[in-house]
Amino acid sequence: MNDMRHVERTVRVDTTKITARDVQVFYGDTHAIRNVSVDIPDKTVTAFIGPSGCGKSTFLRCLNRMNDTISVARVEGRIEIDGEDIYDRRVDPVQLRAKVGMVFQKPNPFPKSIYDNVAYGPRIHGLARDRADLDGIVEKALRRAALWAEVKDRLSAAGTGLSGGQQQRLCIARAVATSPEVLLMDEPCSALDPIATDQVENLIHELRENYSVVIVTHSMSQASRVSQKTAYFHLGELVEYGETGQIFTNPQDERTENYITGRIG
Amino acid sequence: MTDATAPGAVPSGAGQGSLLARDTRTAKRNAAEGRFKIYGLVAVCIGIAALIVLLTSILTSGLSAFRQTTIDMQVTLDEERLDPSGARDYDEMARVTTFGYAPLLRDGLQATIAAAGIEADLDPGDAMDLISDESIAQLRNRVLDNPDLVGQTIDLTVLASGRIDGFYKGRVSYASAELDSNVSPEQLRLAEALEERGALRTGLDWRFLTAPDASDTRPEAAGLGVAILGSAYMMLIVLVLALPIGVAASIYLEEFAPQNRWTDLIEVNISNLAAVPSIVFGILGLAIFINFAGLPQSAPIVGGLVLTLMTLPTIIIATRAALKAVPPSIRDAALGLGASKMQSVFHHVLPLAMPGILTGTIIGLAQALGETAPLLLIGMVAFVREYPDTPLDGGFFDPATALPVQVFNWTQRSDPAFVERASGAIIVLLAFLLLMNLTAVFLRRRFERRW
Repeated sequence: MNDMRHVERTVRVDTTKITARDVQVFYGDTHAIRNVSVDIPDKTVTAFIGPSGCGKSTFLRCLNRMNDTISVARVEGRIEIDGEDIYDRRVDPVQLRAKVGMVFQKPNPFPKSIYDNVAYGPRIHGLARDRADLDGIVEKALRRAALWAEVKDRLSAAGTGLSGGQQQRLCIARAVATSPEVLLMDEPCSALDPIATDQVENLIHELRENYSVVIVTHSMSQASRVSQKTAYFHLGELVEYGETGQIFTNPQDERTENYITGRIG
Repeated sequence: MTDATAPGAVPSGAGQGSLLARDTRTAKRNAAEGRFKIYGLVAVCIGIAALIVLLTSILTSGLSAFRQTTIDMQVTLDEERLDPSGARDYDEMARVTTFGYAPLLRDGLQATIAAAGIEADLDPGDAMDLISDESIAQLRNRVLDNPDLVGQTIDLTVLASGRIDGFYKGRVSYASAELDSNVSPEQLRLAEALEERGALRTGLDWRFLTAPDASDTRPEAAGLGVAILGSAYMMLIVLVLALPIGVAASIYLEEFAPQNRWTDLIEVNISNLAAVPSIVFGILGLAIFINFAGLPQSAPIVGGLVLTLMTLPTIIIATRAALKAVPPSIRDAALGLGASKMQSVFHHVLPLAMPGILTGTIIGLAQALGETAPLLLIGMVAFVREYPDTPLDGGFFDPATALPVQVFNWTQRSDPAFVERASGAIIVLLAFLLLMNLTAVFLRRRFERRW
């Protein structure tokens, strides 16, 4: 763990993109998230790590209000994006999700063509003026997801016919196509082989230039490879949050240390 | 894992000893599996055997309904009898009843017998019994529709009476004719003589599918025309009403409705409704649609509404199952992109659920097509000889019958010829059901193959 060259990675925190204060999440009677407060910077990759069931995915899903779709879930506290409370009554979650894109654990392309998969977001949000415009958006998104070279000749083929890694990059392209400001990734590589994982990680690196990326991962090495900031969750609490290098080399909390050294989790 | 690793719980023998020798436990398990397979096989064989017996019995007694014995003859349409005034006026001509037409056919038959050189020791009235009474009415209708025929001599193919028809289908024999007041051996002999000369024959006849029902004494003329139309109209109504209502209700309940006591109650009730005996729906239809809303009795509209009520739970349950089967990840993907709930349902969930919805709908329709009990209560068991109008002319409100009710009706009649008619109607019903199920299979394949 010491040879991972975290130290040479400098973090340029310009602005805070997401601010969470005292966030509580309840699933029915279960208190899934307790008092989480965190500041997520812009143009940075922030990793959420922690043992299974610690609430990192739940917290991630709070950031674009995907928890709204679960009827028993209840969120308290305050989450702001660019200073606006996203749980304000005037906020339409549909509009929020156009701004905060999400990539899921399992690649979930629509059973439509590759083109339609990527074009779906721009279409429903009216981002393209005409067909040529839409073609441009699709190409740009696929290029960003490093998938263009592989699929440019078969855009009308089924998205579900791609390999697992390609499918996940297609999902990233689909999320990127709506030009979000924040990209949430829920264990995006857990269903992928090492080569595909490497491709997706490289992609995350590049995405950082334009987006604030929040990634939940089970793999500590992945967190240390791709992120600048790391938050360690344990049993619904945010135990420690800091620069990735510091978390992995010099954790302040005993629970973090136990986790990253493999004693729990 | 947990009980296998529990201390002291490792049974001696499991996983120990030679792999070449089968231990008693394994042998027992294999025997149990073998026995289970045999039970299953026996069950399947019993099912197939029952099906084969059923189909054979229906086909053997019903296929002959599609064949009909007819007699060819020439009939002179005597103006003196049919239109004494000579004005070809419809009302004037309509005064001549079938009694006026019977002698024409009788003379025509006698002429045919004479021309064939048959020496019949039957008086003309008894010979006339070879011809179905229905044919006289048919001739009258034909003349009234074309008054110009009066005065001409026309070639006519008339239906043989039920007993003669039965003679050629194996129902009637010389021995049975001795005891039968409706037919005599002499008449059978005459029929055979006519057949030898080519004037009488038995062949394929689609009038069974097109003709309306006929009275108890004329089984040879009874057909399914009105029943098929009535059933088709009702299926149309059920499809148009039950599919949109059922799909909309399912989508709401499955995707939008909050989970609370009310929706739970509704869900339980929908499941219960699917199990309500169909005759109860008939009583409901009688009370609401006929007695309260004042819709006409025996009309396809009432039958269609009742069957819609009966089919809705089936469609809702099937549709909800189909919607549930769509992986949640698709919904998440759409919602995560900023699609609204409705967009995620209509763009992604519904197309994926379509095969299941269509299958459920067609199964519901097939169920409705075969339903008899509720239709009895709303008067569709009536004797209807008039074809309903086209739907555009208000045909949904005209009296009609339905296929299963027609079967029920015919099986209650005394003449043995109606057994053949009823079996024939069952064949038609089964053919329609088979067609609908094939459509369901085809649609499912078609929609699933898209990706």
